[in-house]
Amino acid sequence: MVAETLFAVRRNARLYRRSLGAVVRAVLEYVADFWILIAAGIVTQSLGLVFLSVVMSRVPHLNGWSYPEMVLIYGLAGVSSGIVPVLSDGIWQLASFIHNGQLDYALTRPAPPLMQVMSAWVGFNGVGDLVASAAMLTWALTRVDVHWTPLNVLILLILMISGIALRLAMCVVANTVSFWLRMPMPMFAMTAWQVGELARYPLGIYGFGLRFLLGAAAPFAFAGFFPAAWLLDRGGYAWLGILTPVVAVLWWIFAVWLFRRGLRRYDSAGH
Amino acid sequence: MALLEAHDLTKTFRRPEKDPGLRGSFKHLFQRKYSTKTAVGGVDLSIEAGEAVAYVGPNGAGKSTTIKLLTGIVEPTSGEVRIGGLVPHRNRVANSRQIGVLFGQRTQLWWDLPVRESLALLRDMYDLSPDRFRAQLKRFDEVLGLDELLPVVARKLSLGQRMRADLACALLHDPRIVFLDEPTIGLDIAVKDRVREFLRQLKAEGTTIMLTTHDLGDIEDTCERIVIIDGGRVIYDGSLAQVKDRYARERRVHLQLGSELTVTELADRFPQATVTAGAEGRREFTIAFDKAELTAGAVLAGVAQIAEVLEVKIDEPAIEDVVRKVYAGELLLAEGSTP
Amino acid sequence: MKPYRTMARNSMQSTFAFRTAFLMAAVAACFQLVATVALWSALLSNGGSIGGFTLPEMKAYLLMGYVTGWLGNAIGEWVLANRIRDGQVALDLVKPIETQKMMFAQTLGGLPMELIMIVTVGAGFVLVAGPMPGPSNIPLLMLSLVFVMPIRFCIAFLTTQLVFWTQNFHGVSWARNAVGAVLSGSLVPLSLMPTWLQTTAAVLPFASLTSTPALIYLGKVSTPTAYLLIGVQAFWVVALWFLARVAFRAASRQVTVHGG
Repeated sequence: MVAETLFAVRRNARLYRRSLGAVVRAVLEYVADFWILIAAGIVTQSLGLVFLSVVMSRVPHLNGWSYPEMVLIYGLAGVSSGIVPVLSDGIWQLASFIHNGQLDYALTRPAPPLMQVMSAWVGFNGVGDLVASAAMLTWALTRVDVHWTPLNVLILLILMISGIALRLAMCVVANTVSFWLRMPMPMFAMTAWQVGELARYPLGIYGFGLRFLLGAAAPFAFAGFFPAAWLLDRGGYAWLGILTPVVAVLWWIFAVWLFRRGLRRYDSAGH
Repeated sequence: MALLEAHDLTKTFRRPEKDPGLRGSFKHLFQRKYSTKTAVGGVDLSIEAGEAVAYVGPNGAGKSTTIKLLTGIVEPTSGEVRIGGLVPHRNRVANSRQIGVLFGQRTQLWWDLPVRESLALLRDMYDLSPDRFRAQLKRFDEVLGLDELLPVVARKLSLGQRMRADLACALLHDPRIVFLDEPTIGLDIAVKDRVREFLRQLKAEGTTIMLTTHDLGDIEDTCERIVIIDGGRVIYDGSLAQVKDRYARERRVHLQLGSELTVTELADRFPQATVTAGAEGRREFTIAFDKAELTAGAVLAGVAQIAEVLEVKIDEPAIEDVVRKVYAGELLLAEGSTP
Repeated sequence: MKPYRTMARNSMQSTFAFRTAFLMAAVAACFQLVATVALWSALLSNGGSIGGFTLPEMKAYLLMGYVTGWLGNAIGEWVLANRIRDGQVALDLVKPIETQKMMFAQTLGGLPMELIMIVTVGAGFVLVAGPMPGPSNIPLLMLSLVFVMPIRFCIAFLTTQLVFWTQNFHGVSWARNAVGAVLSGSLVPLSLMPTWLQTTAAVLPFASLTSTPALIYLGKVSTPTAYLLIGVQAFWVVALWFLARVAFRAASRQVTVHGG
């Protein structure tokens, strides 16, 4: 049983890699596009930095957080959201797949349909996101007041990976809603994504409603803010950061369950 | 137990209704009406291993929906399906290894990749060994001329080339049963012949085939059984030969002559047939007859005795005509209607 | 004129058909508004001001950012981008209508729905977000708002034409939106920016989209300066319209048909 599961996981991982690789080869046919997307990713990520540096040049602390700490949160959240387009940009096409009945073939192949959808495209803008966010993160990590230990580093890595997994799961959930909404565009997921951007600032600045939304109902804060709070050992949030792996696993279970439910509603554009 | 068993298969769709125009859109903002459409209503079907079944009916009759129900793509509203003991929409992955699917209107090739890459991705999904994969490609090259398509990016393929590549995709893993939804739609004669030849070969190798088409020629040499569906219900299920003998007997011979004749001259010669003059008056004629009473050969030979024949075209009835006749109840389907 | 009117009508109709999409966009915009207000409240919690903006003023500024952000988004640039990409734009070129005017009509048709979104969410914002100053000069504000839609249209139409050279519109539109957010003043008031960014913004049309109406609303500029800024807006409308026209003619002369 364990061996079988392991075999299935390895097989799917290989298929996933193969699909993404094939798409990368296809995208690289247009080299200009590749660079434009990466540049767009970098420019978009710089937006928040412009905002932060403009206002923080006039106010030294925001809700008790210094400029490097703000950049740390911003960069950490940027890394986890930047991976989403790289690893699962196909999920953004789910709405149009459903609308046009383009899931038909995926449902007749011996590979998980969710996996086939996720690996249907690669968004190179994510590479730009990652480059910009990683730069911010590095800059901030060298400036924040943290006593580094090997354990520290290991936990931070685990939290970052969990944060990435969580963002992926949340993106799957937000797009899976398309099975019920039946619009050709993933409007719900786009809205959710923008809401997620709010979690790139310290949660304490928001009122109860937004804090509850970003920290619990749609816990984007686990993909950036809570891990940062844990690292910096800030106030009442420190212990929440350590829960990130648990939250990620729960959201993946939810995502897979919801996607299965959604498939049962799929009507192949009703022909 | 048969390879494929479907019992009382039903699928209904719910669609929002909207009045036309700006007012309609505005009204629709506040008040939504829905209508329920039954695409497939209570279909019973049983296909034995090795059978080749033609599944025909007019547009919107529920053909494609049936195929999607049988392949597990959509879940039935009620009723059940089993293929080789598996319920397709519950055991998608296991089931997908025993079925092959082709939708003529839609490709499963990766749009921006060469055909070879698409096939290689499918090879990995179906866990084919490199040797097996090579052998399959060789086999497909022989009938479908696949080799010349392998390096071409899918979006640059012509319709006919695309269909050949898609057939290879659908059959790469040697499925026990293959569902082909309009595999010759929009193809020219040469490619059509190739596809038909391929179907014959599949059939000879023992693959179970279920085929939907609008073209009688597709099924003539391959399928011995025909299922006719209309309005989501099976209205005939029986032997193809019988249907053809009964409903597809009319032939039309179009002639262009080197010398002038009159309708009466020809009608006198073929009292069993109906003769009409064509656009070019006395040099163009159409002779319609029942193939049980007359043959095209006899018509040609007869005309040749009185005039020089320049051009000949022979029309057989399209499957739609047959379906229309069956549906209109022009001739009763007492025998063979229950399998 | 008639085909353009039909176009506008169809466009209006489709905005109503896609009302869920609009609703979602409005929800997203609401969140963004609430969040930015929260950010600024935290920044200005001690009752001070940043760059001359007090918290109530900042709220009004954000409101104007929301209002101007809606105007002129119904251009349907994605449809045009796709038509350019697959070469179908060649078919438009043989029709007796101008693509630019057709798309402008389409953008106009989206205005009613956009106004609904502006009024409902805007009113809600004023009620919820608490005290903020009202517009200092309503006629001037209205005048400057009129120019927002055509300027956004021209910028979008111009940037969409880049698809004649690159296949990928995603990157182009993201980059444009990001640059626009900074240089229009919708991210932060331009006066807070470093000087070099302010200079850049001064010579580009983006500031006419948000900064100009917002400053006029708040009375941060004197009446003569307001007239000058509105004059600049008018200049951009004319200049960009003809630039877009010339560019489109030049670009469509070298239509390359992809796929086939």
